[in-house]
Formats: sequence, structure tokens, C-alpha cells
Amino acid sequence: MALSPSTHPVQIHKLPQFAYIDALRWMPHLSTFTRHILLATYDSDSSTPSLQTLTFCPSRAAPSLTPQASVTAPSRITSLKISPSPLTPSKPIAAASAFSGSLLFYSADLVNGTLNLEFSVPEKGFHLGPVSGIDLNENGSECVSVGEDGRVNLVSISAKTGFRRVFDSNGLVSYSSVRWASPVEFVTGAFGFGLHWWDQRKAGGPVALFKDNWTGGTASGIVHAIDIHPSRKHTCLAGGSSGTLFAWDIRLPKQPIILSGVGVGDAPANSLVESDIWEVQYDNYTHSSKIINSSSSRILPAMICSEDGILGVIEQGEEPIELLAEPCAINSFDIDRQNPSDVICSLEWESIAILTRP
Amino acid sequence: MDKSILTLDKGTRCTAWNYSGQRLAAGLVDGSLLIYDSTDPASSTFISTSRFKVQESSILKVVWVPPEYGDAVACIGADGTLSLWEEVTEDTEGHHWKLCKCFDRNTSQVLDIQFGDAETCLKLVAAYSDGQIKIYELLDTLELEKWQLQAEFQNVIDLVSNFGHASCVSASISWNPQRSEVQQSSFVLGFSSNVPALNSPKVWEFDLDHQRWLPVAELSLPEEKTDQVSAVAWAPNIGRPYELIAVATQKGISIWHLGSNPDADGRLSAQKLATLSGHDSEVWEMEWDMSGTTLATTGSDGMVRLWQSNLNGMWHEQAVLTPAS
Amino acid sequence: MPGVTSDSGELNSLSVVPHTLDTQKPRVYPLRLHRVTRPLARLSISWARGNTLRVSLLQTDDAASEQTPGGEVVEVKLGSADAGEIPEAQWRRIAYGSVAPFALLQSRKNSMDALHYEKDWWEHVMEYSKEINSLLGNTKSSVPPTIEDPKTVLKKVEEPTSLKAAWELMEMFYADKQSQTWIPERLLDWLADFDCLFSGTQPTVHAKLVSFQNKLVTIQAVENHPEYWEIMSSALAVGWLDVVVKLLRLHGSYLFDQLGSREIENGLVEAVALLISEMPRLRPDMPTEKIGECYSTKPEFMKAWEKWRAKITKLDCSAFWLQCDHQQTRVGLKNMLQVMLGNASVLSNVTYHWIELYISHFLYVRPFTVGLESMYSLAQKCMHLKPISYRHKLMGLIIGILEENTEVVLAECSRSFGPWMTTHAIELMAAGSTQAETLLHEEQSKIGGICIEELHRLTYAQILSSHALTWNIAPIYLTSCLKQGLGLLENLLYKQPVQHHLVLLKSMEICRLNGLDYVSYNMMKIAGVHYWKHGKKGSAVFWLQQARDEVRLNRIAKHLFDFVGKSVSDESFKQWEGMIELLGTESKTAGGLEFLKKYRDFRRSLQQVQEGITTDAARKAAEALISLMRNPSTPQQFWLPLLYDSLKLLNWQEGPLLNVSQTNLLLNKLQELSLARLLPGFVDAGLPPEALQSVRLALATNLGRAILEE
Repeated sequence: MALSPSTHPVQIHKLPQFAYIDALRWMPHLSTFTRHILLATYDSDSSTPSLQTLTFCPSRAAPSLTPQASVTAPSRITSLKISPSPLTPSKPIAAASAFSGSLLFYSADLVNGTLNLEFSVPEKGFHLGPVSGIDLNENGSECVSVGEDGRVNLVSISAKTGFRRVFDSNGLVSYSSVRWASPVEFVTGAFGFGLHWWDQRKAGGPVALFKDNWTGGTASGIVHAIDIHPSRKHTCLAGGSSGTLFAWDIRLPKQPIILSGVGVGDAPANSLVESDIWEVQYDNYTHSSKIINSSSSRILPAMICSEDGILGVIEQGEEPIELLAEPCAINSFDIDRQNPSDVICSLEWESIAILTRP
Repeated sequence: MDKSILTLDKGTRCTAWNYSGQRLAAGLVDGSLLIYDSTDPASSTFISTSRFKVQESSILKVVWVPPEYGDAVACIGADGTLSLWEEVTEDTEGHHWKLCKCFDRNTSQVLDIQFGDAETCLKLVAAYSDGQIKIYELLDTLELEKWQLQAEFQNVIDLVSNFGHASCVSASISWNPQRSEVQQSSFVLGFSSNVPALNSPKVWEFDLDHQRWLPVAELSLPEEKTDQVSAVAWAPNIGRPYELIAVATQKGISIWHLGSNPDADGRLSAQKLATLSGHDSEVWEMEWDMSGTTLATTGSDGMVRLWQSNLNGMWHEQAVLTPAS
Repeated sequence: MPGVTSDSGELNSLSVVPHTLDTQKPRVYPLRLHRVTRPLARLSISWARGNTLRVSLLQTDDAASEQTPGGEVVEVKLGSADAGEIPEAQWRRIAYGSVAPFALLQSRKNSMDALHYEKDWWEHVMEYSKEINSLLGNTKSSVPPTIEDPKTVLKKVEEPTSLKAAWELMEMFYADKQSQTWIPERLLDWLADFDCLFSGTQPTVHAKLVSFQNKLVTIQAVENHPEYWEIMSSALAVGWLDVVVKLLRLHGSYLFDQLGSREIENGLVEAVALLISEMPRLRPDMPTEKIGECYSTKPEFMKAWEKWRAKITKLDCSAFWLQCDHQQTRVGLKNMLQVMLGNASVLSNVTYHWIELYISHFLYVRPFTVGLESMYSLAQKCMHLKPISYRHKLMGLIIGILEENTEVVLAECSRSFGPWMTTHAIELMAAGSTQAETLLHEEQSKIGGICIEELHRLTYAQILSSHALTWNIAPIYLTSCLKQGLGLLENLLYKQPVQHHLVLLKSMEICRLNGLDYVSYNMMKIAGVHYWKHGKKGSAVFWLQQARDEVRLNRIAKHLFDFVGKSVSDESFKQWEGMIELLGTESKTAGGLEFLKKYRDFRRSLQQVQEGITTDAARKAAEALISLMRNPSTPQQFWLPLLYDSLKLLNWQEGPLLNVSQTNLLLNKLQELSLARLLPGFVDAGLPPEALQSVRLALATNLGRAILEE
């Protein structure tokens, strides 16, 4: 199953961590030579969840990660998002949602190597049970959160107090993921492969629902991750159960484009993955090198990681590319936005893999 | 490696872990029930999350309802009452525990209860101080309020005789842990009473054709039939061609081998494999591990003992855990 | 067997694997009390995941002071790991790393035909063994120091573990068929790597060498120190030739200022050094830093050996010794020659541990020893000559291997190194000999019909199950157990806290890979009920649908009808939209919930009728009404409200929307309903009392109009 590194030019380095990695993100670059990674870890020996920043030293032979700052988290982290701080570039903002149901905002000082809790939204009244997904908007001013309890909340970071309830389905719908589409719109993913499009200007519920019987009633699942490309805000890319990856164009609400999946609708026969897709991100790296003049209706290439240990790139109408195949699950990954050839991913077996594409 | 994972409140009388070992229910002398939860599935840190009053008298035993029916416990009180409590979320702010069912209190007390048959129709076996066994059936898969008495009988092979003046001190029930919809449900039950015939552990199986419970085996040698039984434990079977059941009496712990094919009379062959002595006095609890190979026991000598069979099929005491400051 | 066993009464070493060699007396382990004090009122036990036993210790009321709590729960992990040598996190890394090689070996075993099995199998086993060995740490330092200090005779390397030592022993004796001819040399290499492990409890050549090296920096003229000569003889005896030559070159006679006065002495030192570096070795090759001349075939080696011995004898009798003035040098070198000539009493004097003496005998006394039988008798002799007070756990393993007793080896493996070692080493043992393979694979009725190999895999899987981060690799080992693996896997899955989303998804994935659909359905059912009871109705319905639990879904449907029935005119019906979306249209397992979706559609079209007045929309709504009323899944309690809400359709101005048969259907339903009202359990829809009458009238009118039209 494993690819030998010599047969493909992607460099892969695995760094054991001796702690389970719940989430990980690249931090915005401070300079070309210093890069940082934010990890949400869980030390099972001491039952301690923590957040830590690490300095990444790229090297062909042996890239290394050096711990920089670390803070204990109140509970395990379910989702982690980063946004550059518009005023102080060396202090990006990190939003972390907790298993216990709270939402925490940290500011990471990459120069002095500190990680400070700016403020947290307390558990009470916020979500019932774990927060399943969060997203920070482009300028890092607002954070939207969703939960299995069916609540959709907005937190204003500048206000540093409380939250605003956008919607409460009282548990009738369970949300699993969320992603901003524009400063006022966002998309939530739900059980049953449902996607809801929300517009803050229109209160009272989602403005568009995507739930068709495109799976033919044979399979249903959960949307674990959503991505929306800044240049194509009307198209929502969603990944979830049974290796399903599909795109929903809000302008053509009844016709999803199925890019991958097992036993769902008219998915391509050769699915790269068969089990849950945990994370989806548009892959700008492949984009810049391969398609420049493609039509706007074509779905841009996207990177996915899966429960069955695959990190790969899926592109509409093309053979999927497998970047990494592991005997354990790949729980999450992040493409470095400023240097999209570099990808970090967290392996279930307490380690991190760093990939550098040529 | 041993580590302390939680501290119990003052006056704790009994504890019970749920199916996954993520929640502990503790019954107190003042009739309160405490629930301890782990902070996340990987953690072994437990904190108390609920405390509520179940009854006025002390709680003697807590038993979790199988998870297919929610997060619920049955409590046996010192006054012989039996009540069912369930955790539910009804409003928007968190969960609470509510009383689902208080079983009718008659003259006799409830000594032990166990749930079984979770796959098809949940059953509750209760053993009473007058030597009666009652089996209740849940009528509605989603509500724990509605129960129906399915059967009532005494723990005797000879079904016609009736012992009216039985007075039992304790009872122990153990269901066949097999999760199968094809196999008929069965359990083993033994008493500690003043009526010798009630004491010996009998294996009861539901006879579908006649819609009644029948004793299919008796786990005692002729000379020990009158021995008072303090605990029984049916081992999980992960593929053995026979069943293993442990029985504790004052004489020690015996391991029984129960055949799976009934004879012409519908009886199962039972064979005693070993008699083990260790606790010297009363055995409090017995529990098999998930593979059914190691038996853990506690007793009034204050020790935990582990028992195993070696490769020659010889049962022996493998280890003793002794509390030490 | 002589000596005491190495395991103390620590919980870590508590063995949970049955074997035949158990002593009858149980071992006593202390259970540390952290917060409570004795006496205790009661102890309660419960098995948690895998081999974890939880003991509730309840305090007596009277004994307790105000501060003491009511009790505590202590978690005991039985036989989880080797006591202390390897930390938990490191163990997990080994466990993770061994999954892929183990799985690969199993799949090769399954696909290999019997013909090639005999011939090539060991090569696969060796590949497996090498991969496992690499997980256990690296004893050989890979990067040589750039500036070599002449006084560093012993390179500092990562502290090796007994586990690795044990693995390498098993590999060389069982798996590596190529090294069978030169086992003594392999043992020598092995001792060079692991002699330090014995230093803790016993003097060893390694310990002496380390202590001498520490002194070396401060010593002038080493040749005057008796320890210098002792240590060289010792190192020579155990075959660390490179160390000896290096030490010899530290001899004072090599110094420039000694030129002219100590030539003879220097010549003799160099002659010995030369002889040492020419020593014939019965092995195919050697690492570059090691010294000696390799011979891969026995006749060549024998010839070279005779020649070499002749040279030593010649040097021993040389007249130059008389001209050597430095007495220590003379005696020391002569002693070294005696070592090389295989003088048994000298060898015994210069070695400490019996295994060192053993190696020296292989090198200088009986270099042609082959076959385990003779190796074993030699080992016994050496043990007799050098009895040990403390028996290291590796010793039991070596003896077991040499006496070819598979049961002892198994027992030693599991007792000293734990279930990980046993499970993985069984692959090596099975490749070692047919006799061992038979023993490992023979079904034993006494342990429930499984074989020893399966027993150990089950035990290891149980250890893995004990930890939240490793439980999900247990299935890899369980699926290699033919008889009881699936049974244990089921029990393991049923113990997972599936109300946690990620645990449920992980468990379902394991079920998917192993074809355990029924287990996965049951887990989804548990999750569904949990969510239902905890206010997450959407996920509850989703999971129950996935679990195809029609009984509970129908029950939920009934509950929802009550709710929807009450609030049907309310705006709050909108809340249910999301859930109704979830249910889909085609889903076969929606149970009675399917009705809700149809009902929603009907209400929508009715709404349109109320807003705009087109006959087309009205006709559609009427069709929806008929289809709803025809559908057997439409609950009775909805019949009247449906009809009452549709009064406008029934009294449609522009002509009847329903034909005769359709109207008759509705009339029949109405009649059925009025009969049902008399039965117990009837749910009243809470409509105005005249509702029934007005519907009855409207239907009659419609029928009349329809008859006229037809």
C-alpha cells in the first residue's frame, strides 16, 4: 500500500510526536525562513489537551519541528482555524473549539514565542455538547460555530464578549461543519449529506437547502468538511462519509457534481478513498501549475485526507493523485497558503507528516 | 500499573460502571445517586456531573440498563424498592435524571436484578427475598416507563413445589452475555436462603414453544445442593464450544462447564471443572474479563483475586491484589 | 532451574497469559491506596476496556475522618508492558509500527502455496524481523565521530534494551537460516551489543572496560597498570578484537621518546596485535571497523585456524621474550597468548559472566561447535563454572532456546517481555522448526479449541484494547485469529463509547473492513437512542435510519405525529423542515416518518392554493390529498385534520376536483374514522366539534357534483 518515496518526487518526512494530534494548521509566514505550525495535541498518559506552536525548519534531509510555546487547553480541540491579524502580522489569531463546548481565541506571538488566550466563549448556553465545526472569516473578525445540537452561533472577535445565536434547530438538524462563503454568507454541512446556505442579511433560517436524493437512497452520510474557493463563491465543495466528495453550485441547486465516493449516485468508478473524508481544501498548488485556462464551470482540484490513510488530490475528470498512503487514518491536513507546495498532515498514530511537492 | 482515577463521595455504598466504562454511578447511604463522567473518550479523568436523590433509604445496588435503551440505571434500595432512572434532555439547557418507573413494592424485598435480551425485547430479572423470581418485559423500545410482568416463579427444578416461607438474604443473577437473536435468552440464578432447594444456581432458559421459563441445568453437585450461593457469573463466550459459569458459595468458587446441546429432556450437561478456595469467607463479586478467560473476584477478606486456567485446563489463582497504603 | 526469577511483585509484570509452567502459588501485588485508608468496607470490581480492571475501594464510615472521602476507584492495567524499561508512549510507537509488518506477513502467509513455503518462507520472516527490530531502537551508532579520540576505545551508543536483545536472539536462532552456520560469531556480535545489559547486577567485561576508559585520561604509562593488561585479556576473550588492538597501541613503547630503548618490547606488542588482527573468523563478512579474517567455508577456516594457532605457539616459544625487560608487558602479552591458545583456566579468569566465558570458548577452545545440543552442553558447563546470583531475564530465554524447549521460550517471552513480544516472536519461532510450528499451531481443547499462537494474539489484542489510542489496531491481530478473533472483536466493539461521534465512526469503519454489519447496526442503534434521549433528534433519526431500526423509527414517527399534529397550524412547523429534508423521499427505512415529508408537501401546495387561486394548483393539492389518504402509513389521527384543512378544495368553486371514486375513498375513510372514535386509544385531533360534520357535508356536495360531471 505504501508508496516508496523514490518513485515519486514528493518528499515525505514523518515526525513522531508522542501525543495524539487533534488538529494542526500552518501559521502565516513571518519571513521566508521562519515558519510556524499550530498543533492541538492530546497527551493520553496525563490526559492533558494542549495547544502548541512549533517552529518549522525546512530541510531536504531532515526537516525539524521545534516546540516554541505551549498552553494547556480546557478540553480536547475539535476544530482549529487561523487568521492573520490585520494589524500585527506577527500575531495571528487562532480559534479553537473545544470538546466541552466552549470556543477559545488565542493570539500567537511568533516573535517572542508565546501563545495567549485572548478570550473564550463559555460553555453555558453556547452549544450543548461538543462544538463540531468553526470557521473564521477572511479578516478574522467573526467566527461562526455549529454543533450537533443544531445551533449556529456567531462570535465577534473584536467585541470579545458572548455570541449571537443565528439559528437553533433544537436538535432537529445536527451540523457537522461550517465554512464562510463571503463576509455575510456561510455554508453548513449536516447529517444526511445536507448543506445549508446562510445569509446573515436574511434571518430565520437557511436561504438555500441542498438535500437531494442524489445518493439514490442507498447511502447517506455526514459532511465532515467544506471548502469554498475565494474566486468561486457560489460553489461549495463538501467531503464526508464513504469517500464522498461533491460540489454544489448554489445556482444549480439540484445538480451536485460528484467527484468521488463509493455507492453514491454517479460517482466515478475508481474512488481513491472508501471511508470518511476528514478534510477538504482546494489545492492551489496543482491549480497554479496545471490548469490556468480552464472553464469556470470546472471544479478546481482539491486535496483530501481520509480515514483509510490516503492524502490525495482529486480533480474533476482526471485520475486522482495519491500523495501519501498510510496504514493508519490521516485525520487532518493543511496546505501552506503562502507556499502551497508544502503540506502538513496529522496521522492517527501520534505523528505528523510533512510533504514538500517539487 | 495502577492509578487512582476518581474519588468517591462520603457515604458511597455501591458503584457501577456503564457498558463502555465511561460513566460511573455511585449509590449513597442517604439514597442519593451520583454520576461520574470522563471528560472525553480517551481520558481516564472522571468528574462528578450529576447528583440526585433516588429514595430515603440507602442504595444497595445500581445496575445500568443496556445502552440500546438509553442512559439509565436501576437502583435497589435498602428498603427493598426498585426504581429506574433515566438521563434525558428535555429543555434547551442540558440533561437531567428523571424517574421512569418505580416497581411495585410488595412484602418482599428486591435482592438482585439484571437486564438481558437487549437485542430483541429488554427483560429485567428480579430476585426477591421470598425466593420469587420475576421477569419483566419492556413494552416500548423508547420508553422505560412501561413494563409488563412476563413470568414469576421460584428457583427450583421441580416446578410444582412451592416454598411459601422462604427468607432469602441475598441473590445473584447473571445473564448469558451472548448477543444473539437466534439463541434463546438464558440466565443463571442462585440464592442464599433458609430453603435449601432455592439456593443452588439454576440455568433458566425461555422455551419459545410453551412460552415459559424452564430450568435447563443445575450447577451444584448432589452434596452441595443446599449451599448458599453468594455470587454467580456467566463468562462471555468468544468461540468456545461450551459455556463457563463461575459459582461462589461459602466453600469457595467453582467453575462450571455448561454444554450447548440439550438432551432429550431439554437439559444441558453441566460439569464442575474446579473448586477454588481463596477468599476463605464470603465472595462479594465476580466478574469475567471481555474474553472470558480471567475471572476477577472480591470477598470479605478485602482482596481482589484473579483466576485462570492454564494450558492443561487446570484452574488456579493467578494473582492477588491487596490494598496497601 | 538455578537462580531466582527476575520479575518482582510489580503489577506491570503481572502475566495474564496462561502457560503450562505456572507455579502453583499466586503472586501477591500491592494495590496502592491514594486517598482512602484501611480498613475498607467493601471492594467492587469491574473490567473496563481490555485488560483494565477497575477496583472501587469503599471506606468504612466509622474509620473515616472528616477529610477522607467515601472511597476511590483505582484502575489497574494488567500485564500491559514490560516493567519500566520502555515508557508507555514508546510502547505505543512500537505497537503502531508493528502493525504493517505483521499484516504483510500474514497476507503473504495466506497467499503462499505449500511448495514455496518451505524454501522461501524464512526470507519473508527475516524481512519482517528486520522491520520489527528497527522499531526497537538502534544499538549501532550510525554516524561515526568525526574526530576520533585515540583514547575512546568504546563508542558511546544509545542504551540498548533487553527487548531488542531478546528479539535479536530469537531472530538469529529461529529465523535467519543463513546464519545457522556461524551462530557462535553471531552470538559474539550480540554480546558486544548487549553485554552492558548485564552490568547492572553483575561484573562484566563491558563494565570493566567502561570504568577503565574513564580512568584512561588520567593514566600515564598504561603498561604499568595491571588493570590495562587484565582488561585487554578480557576483551580479547570475548572477541572485541578492535578494542584490544586499539588498547595495545596505547602501550608506552610506541612513543617516540621510547625509540631505541624498547624496540623488542614494542615488537612483541605489535606481534600480538598483528596476530589478533589476523585471527580467522568463521563468518561471511564483518563490519568494517571489526578485525579478523573472514572465512565462509569450514575447510578454509580450519586450514587458516591451524596456521594461525601455529603462529601463536611459535611466538609463545620465541626467544625474544627473554629480551623484554618490562615485566608487566611480558606477563600481560603472554597471558593474552594463553587466551588465544584457549587455556581454559585463563579464559575462566578473565571473564565474569557465564555468557562471556561461553563466547570465549567458542572463539578459542571449540570454534567448530555446531548444533544446539552441543551448544547447550557447553552453556551448562559455563554456567556451572560461573554461577550467577541474579538471573537476568535474557538468561532464561537463552537457556530455553539452547535446550530447544519451545514452551520455555514462550513462557520466558511472555513473562519477561510481555504479550507484544510473544505475539510477534511466535512468527520467528514457527519459522524455526517444524516441531515448534506444530506446538504453536496445534489446537488445544483445554483452552477452548484454539492454538497457542491464537491465544497469544488474543491476549495481545486485549492489551491493545486497554488503551484509547491503540484499541483500533487490535482488529488487525484479531482478524488473524481464526477461531475466537471475531468473537473478541465484537465484544471489543460493543464496549466502545459510541455516543461519541468519532468513536462511532471509527467503530463503523472497523465493522466495514471486517464485514461486521450487524455489529455496526447495533452500535448505530445505541448512538441513535442516545441522541434521541438527549435532544439531538436529527442525528438520532439519521443513525436509526442507518441502523435500519424500523421499530424505533416507527415509534419516533408516532411521537413526532403527536407533536406535528398539535402545532400544524403554527409557524413552528418550519422548524421541522431540516429534519424532513434529512429523511429524503426514497429512503426505505424512514419508517412512518416518510409521511411527514408527504404531509409537508401537501401543506405547501395547500398554502399556494390559499394564496393564489388557480385551479391548476388546486388540482395538484387535491391529488396530494388523495395520495396521502391512500397511503397506509398516514396515521389515522391525521385523517380528519387533513380533510378539514382541505375544505376549500372539496368545495372548489369552478367544479369538483375529485372524481366519484376518489370521493368515495375519502368517505370510506371518514366512516372508518367515526367507528375508530368509539375504540380505546383514539387520539383526538383537537378540532372544533363541527369539523366532522362540515367535512361530511363537503364530501357529499363534491360527490353530487362529481356524479353530475361523469
